[in-house]
Amino acid sequence: MSKIKGLTKLPAKYIPLAVAMAVIIALLAVLAITKPPAQNVKGQISPALKEAAGTKYSETYYNYICFNAVRGKDLKTAQEETYVGFVGNIFAVPDKSPIAPVVDIFFWLPALIRGSGITISLSIVSVLAGVFASVFLALGKISKVKLLNKTCSAYIFFFRGTPLMMQLYFVYYALPQIHPALTINNKFLAAFLAFALNSAAYCAEIIRAAIQSIDKGQFEASKALGLSYGQTMQLVIIPQSIRRLIPPVANEFIMVLKDASLVSIIALSDLTHTTRSISSSSSSALVYIPAMIIYLIITAFFTFVFNKLEKRFSIYQ
Amino acid sequence: MSLIRTANVCKSFGELTVLKDINMSVEQGEVVCIIGPSGAGKSTFLRSLNQLEKITSGKIFIDEELFLHRENGSTVLRLEQIKYKQLLLEMGMVFQSFNLFPHKTVMENIMLAPVHVKKQSKAEAEKKAGELLAKVGLADKSDEYPARLSGGQQQRVAIARALAMEPKIMLFDEPTSALDPELVGEVLGVMKSLAESGMTMLVVTHEMGFAREVADRVIFMCDGVIAEQGPPEKLFSKPENPRTRQFLNSIL
Repeated sequence: MSKIKGLTKLPAKYIPLAVAMAVIIALLAVLAITKPPAQNVKGQISPALKEAAGTKYSETYYNYICFNAVRGKDLKTAQEETYVGFVGNIFAVPDKSPIAPVVDIFFWLPALIRGSGITISLSIVSVLAGVFASVFLALGKISKVKLLNKTCSAYIFFFRGTPLMMQLYFVYYALPQIHPALTINNKFLAAFLAFALNSAAYCAEIIRAAIQSIDKGQFEASKALGLSYGQTMQLVIIPQSIRRLIPPVANEFIMVLKDASLVSIIALSDLTHTTRSISSSSSSALVYIPAMIIYLIITAFFTFVFNKLEKRFSIYQ
Repeated sequence: MSLIRTANVCKSFGELTVLKDINMSVEQGEVVCIIGPSGAGKSTFLRSLNQLEKITSGKIFIDEELFLHRENGSTVLRLEQIKYKQLLLEMGMVFQSFNLFPHKTVMENIMLAPVHVKKQSKAEAEKKAGELLAKVGLADKSDEYPARLSGGQQQRVAIARALAMEPKIMLFDEPTSALDPELVGEVLGVMKSLAESGMTMLVVTHEMGFAREVADRVIFMCDGVIAEQGPPEKLFSKPENPRTRQFLNSIL
């Protein structure tokens, strides 16, 4: 009952966000159905290019919700042309035009979005696996069994004490030389393994600190009621540590998200690697601007999600 | 028949000796209050009965069965797990700082141990918990989280939680010391009615009024030993030990 009480508070905070989104969507819809007057049309795509667009003759052709971008060669004059279309009207963009770099973004965007997909999915699976493994590492580290304690401490010491970049190199290049059976051909898998192993070490320390921050009266009450150590952890201590875990785990996630740019070194096409490829092939380093904005959007989104999670777990306080 | 009996219980933290040769017993249905100055070892003694503290040496009998026997800091007797837990659960404990589980509702707090330790069905545990809540006067608070209750209400929930395991004896470790003065009465009221219902109780307390009114026997502890014990009317009006007299003079 009280859980529902906690939820009913949320929508009020979403109202400004919902209003802003509704306004944007409404504006786009209005633009899409009302065609602007004809004098705004700067140029018309040549029929040959229009025909070529989307076929093998055109280099690139993108179609967004109310935005088209075409770059290709006119089949008759063999001249390179760039056109952008907005709500049904098409504008020619000469190479010397001041807005040419901005238009470029629309050609970069699909590759950047594919790259962010890799970055986001790699970070999510790595941190999830890392958190899962770290619960056991943390319990091992606070355990009184010497062997378990020393093993877990050594693991954490190793992965926190060496650079992530070297761990990545090691998993991808050195493991196959140790034994051919350890070869990981899939770059994503190799990156995942290195990141998850590394993240587990960091999260283990976070979880250990959270568990040890729980009042010792909670352990005593559990003991007096006859709960076993396992039950005490599972029913009493870990559920209480979750709320304290969320801020540092969110921090760790954001770190991993940015550290994921290291996968460039094994040529996995994440956001950073894609950006560098575009930059070197198009000789326009301005692609770093939209790439960084995408990083900011991703970070902002996950910060928001973690904030909501934290509130969700605070209902009993 | 004594429910709890200790023989030569000693406890030391390194050089510091906290309990010196404590021999005492609590009979079935008896309410015993332990009083004394702070640092006398009252809480340590109570906590060592249900293994929250490890005694250095001595024997503890629960229900006339040897529960624990330690000598020179190592355990001589090791009970099998089932027997150990059964004897341990004959004692219910109420703490000074309540120690309710903050992430569980009042109802869940009370049901947790019966469901997971005694393996009762949820329905059965819930029914029992409802009865206990009514007994401590908090039937309407079952879906609240502990943080929304006053200290007195939290301590009453803690009493209900301990009672849910159906212990034979209740241990109270300064149950009212963390409460605002106006909330002390409601907790003592619950404890008094519990005593009247025949529950065996061992209470470490600073509430002399409660000890005088409810206790069958009062133990005065000082410097790790039982300095004097007897019925409250005798101990409070004609204390024999000068140390008891000095303590009572300083607080009354």
